[in-house]
Amino acid sequence: MNKQILGYKCKKCGHVQYPYHSRCKKCGHTEWRGFDIVFDTAPLPQDGKLLTFTHLYALPPDFEAVTVSFGIVELSDGHRITGQLKIEAPKIGMKVQGKVELVRQEGYTKHWGLVFYSAA
Amino acid sequence: MRDVYVVGIGITSFTRLDYPLAEIAAYPALQAMQDAGLDKVDHVYVANMGGGRVSNQTALGSAVVDHLCLWPVGAETIENGPASGASAIKTGAMAIASGMMDTVLVTGAERMNEVNSLEATDFVATLAHPMAERIYGVTLPALAGMFTRLYMERYGVTSRHLAMVAIKNHANACLNQFAHVQNKISMDGILDGKDASHNNPVIADPLRFFDICPVSDGGAAVILASAEVAKKLGKPLVKLAGFGQATDTHAVHEREDPTALTAVRLAADKAFKMAKLKPADVDVAELHDAFTILEIAESEEVGFFEKGKGHLALERGETALNGKLPINTSGGLKARGHAVGATGIAQAHEIVLQLRGDAKKRQVKDAKVGFTCNFGGFGNNVVCLAMVRE
Repeated sequence: MNKQILGYKCKKCGHVQYPYHSRCKKCGHTEWRGFDIVFDTAPLPQDGKLLTFTHLYALPPDFEAVTVSFGIVELSDGHRITGQLKIEAPKIGMKVQGKVELVRQEGYTKHWGLVFYSAA
Repeated sequence: MRDVYVVGIGITSFTRLDYPLAEIAAYPALQAMQDAGLDKVDHVYVANMGGGRVSNQTALGSAVVDHLCLWPVGAETIENGPASGASAIKTGAMAIASGMMDTVLVTGAERMNEVNSLEATDFVATLAHPMAERIYGVTLPALAGMFTRLYMERYGVTSRHLAMVAIKNHANACLNQFAHVQNKISMDGILDGKDASHNNPVIADPLRFFDICPVSDGGAAVILASAEVAKKLGKPLVKLAGFGQATDTHAVHEREDPTALTAVRLAADKAFKMAKLKPADVDVAELHDAFTILEIAESEEVGFFEKGKGHLALERGETALNGKLPINTSGGLKARGHAVGATGIAQAHEIVLQLRGDAKKRQVKDAKVGFTCNFGGFGNNVVCLAMVRE
């Protein structure tokens, strides 16, 4: 199954937020179920346009690569997300398509997240 | 609400310090107490970010009181990332303003040389959003790189403008014996010359090595007091006339305009309002230039220049030591250095020196109003201070 990044949908007003906040950013609502706070979840789209990017050459010590590129992408539903880029010569405004991949391994902990490719 | 005065200051060199963290906090504290002519205080706030993780020293507030033999006064550690310093000053000022305390020692310290620079950067990156940013390997330089690219695209800022900030602040730091990096740099050496790409490699494109502050060890302290105490002590009267703080979303991408530093604008507004001052009243300012772009962006958000015009003021030399509004006369984070928890206090230290007329070779003539901006996270927690010489 394709992995996805989930947005959190308010049980009251339906606003979808990413990343997670403990209550709705838009209407302030918290839905309690016993001691739990609950949201509906909705997968975020994975296509969008590149808002800005950087190539980082001083990476955290657990990275083996010499450089990793990061970008902020405006997804097709208007949400923004930070992710890694695998694009040779990125340009602001270009169309990108994301895929959930292994983005970082810190010791035994694996982190999955969005990696964007050129959609042109 | 009572008025608050800064009656004593102290600072260590911002460099590599082979002393325990608590001593780095105690040393400037003793200087500040001596400067104020006080043997004891009513309360102690200690600003620090990495004690628990980097220096294996938690409960730094208690450790500092012990070094200073100040028992049994109350003390705590204030951790607010890179804005810990000004946060601690603000907390101390509230204690005086409320009437609960008459004298408060605020000292800050960091000892980052316990780890190498990549580990230090990774440690600072723990303040980024854990799920939306940090898991990708995003660090503060990466966030600043993305911010810079967008700023360049939108406002016409170039690598040359960024280099001008670095060159200016390095020149200022050469006049500050406590600065971490005391060497002059030139446009030829870092941008134009044939060795420039070797001297100044890209770190977080478009940011280069000389666009990024060093990781420093260091400490700085101030003593705050009520008007009644301040007038008795007989030091030049520097009033902490205003302070303001504001927060923003944890993930940078979630901000409506990712080139807006809204928390800077709101914190500065509050500080100016409280001090009954306008940005145009300021004679000298210390802005949090962890990255060169931040000096430009903050100079706009705090109200010194119009949005998108800060780099033009820089180009005209208005922010140079002999300009209309000198910014980062200490050398700023860029060259005085960034000892994370101490930085906001070092900024205040510089402003007090300037307002007392004690800044020697880097003295801004007739400086009466000073301003600091201490920037936490990537702009998600900002504290500004406004100070006035009476």
